Amino acid sequence: MASSGGNRSRLLLVLLLVSSLFLITLDLRGVNLASSIRNGVSTVISPAENLFTKRFSPFENFTSDVRNFSQSKKKITELNKQIDLLKAKQILDEDMVNQLSQLKNVLDLAGRGGYKVVAARVINRGSTATFKETLTIDVGSRSGITKNMTVISESGLVGVVKSVTSNSSIVLLMSDPTFKVGVRIAGTQSIGVVSGQGGSSYLLQLLDATGEIKVGDALVARGSSGDRPFVPGVPVGVVVTVLSNASSITQNADVESTTNLEKITVVAVVTAAAKGDPRDSLIPKPRPTPTVYVTPTPSPSPRE
Amino acid sequence: MSSIRVINTSLFLFLVFLIQTTLIARINFPIGGFSLYIATLMVVLSLENRTGLLVFGFIGGLIMDLSPSAQTPFGQWALVMTFIGYLFAVNRDSVVDLNDRPLALTSLVSVAASVSILTFIVIGVLLGQNNGGLLRNLLVIFANFIWTFLITPIFTPLILRIRKMLLTNRERV
Repeated sequence: MASSGGNRSRLLLVLLLVSSLFLITLDLRGVNLASSIRNGVSTVISPAENLFTKRFSPFENFTSDVRNFSQSKKKITELNKQIDLLKAKQILDEDMVNQLSQLKNVLDLAGRGGYKVVAARVINRGSTATFKETLTIDVGSRSGITKNMTVISESGLVGVVKSVTSNSSIVLLMSDPTFKVGVRIAGTQSIGVVSGQGGSSYLLQLLDATGEIKVGDALVARGSSGDRPFVPGVPVGVVVTVLSNASSITQNADVESTTNLEKITVVAVVTAAAKGDPRDSLIPKPRPTPTVYVTPTPSPSPRE
Repeated sequence: MSSIRVINTSLFLFLVFLIQTTLIARINFPIGGFSLYIATLMVVLSLENRTGLLVFGFIGGLIMDLSPSAQTPFGQWALVMTFIGYLFAVNRDSVVDLNDRPLALTSLVSVAASVSILTFIVIGVLLGQNNGGLLRNLLVIFANFIWTFLITPIFTPLILRIRKMLLTNRERV
């Protein structure tokens, strides 16, 4: 009895070993039985896996978190520092891109006008304690800057250099109430004076009694004797509101500057003007409105 | 051994396999992993008779071959576990009743789990598989032994109770 039991066990062992080897052989010979069965099992298991993922995901890395607790804390601190640095770098990069764009545009304006310029960055803005609208730029006498030079931005007039040190200069902005610039209405010979009013709007007083101001008129700097303090042809502003009436002697208008003085970071100081007057060539041209052409489809003519 | 017990035990092992695949496998144990399924199978095998050892060894290995993420030939685990079952069967008489000897049972299960993994690696090498460096494999086997030794006492009472439920009335006597 015992031996028959032992024989039966041996037979069973041989049978099972042969079955295992047979399955292995089938798989190694490329029979797709295994992959089909495994795919079927995967279909059964995957809903359970999804369920457990939702329920037990907080516990997945429990042991590694416990083991790496002190390292995790250190790593989190390091990563936070890196994030702060990257954020600051990103802000700096965006600022640099903006500055580069402004520099390109101001050099482009200077090139079109034929001005010789020295580019500069705004490093400070005037304090309210002095009640002066000023900027400080990072170029001075070492770069050839002197008093009463015109300062321009990518879109037009900014101000005039008022004081100079070896490495910096103070620019009086056109928004300052004491600032005045002689202007000409583009496309005409009418001349006037634009004055700063301490804010973002400016006052135009037309000196020509026969001249006419219209809303939308562009104003360019008329230029000064010896091109100091103003070189001719620099865009100054655009008329937004006509203020004068029939009884007034001079014609007045509200003007909006072409330059946003709050946002400039790069300017150019005109060290030498063009040989000729650029006239109205530096005024930004309005974008052409797209013209839509509609071709009517021919309607079928009625049969006679 | 009745066919009903074979079916019930197989279903139970498949359920444990499901738990292993969906839950235990997600836990990142230090150094190496712990296999609840292998430990459970070893517990079941340690309490079986000769025939049961071979049959459940084969079926247990076959269930492991069903793993969707397995990259080994189908049937390799069946071969390994049949061999492990044979080792149990050969030494059955020297292994006394382990129901009342938890430390002995835990030690046996841990050793058997490690031997099964080692056998799997060896058979894999014979079949031309590349399972990584020797040192790394030994580290995984050692870690598996440690984790099995630590965790087996926690769930073994439950396994024993379930196994008793799966026995037929005649087999319980």
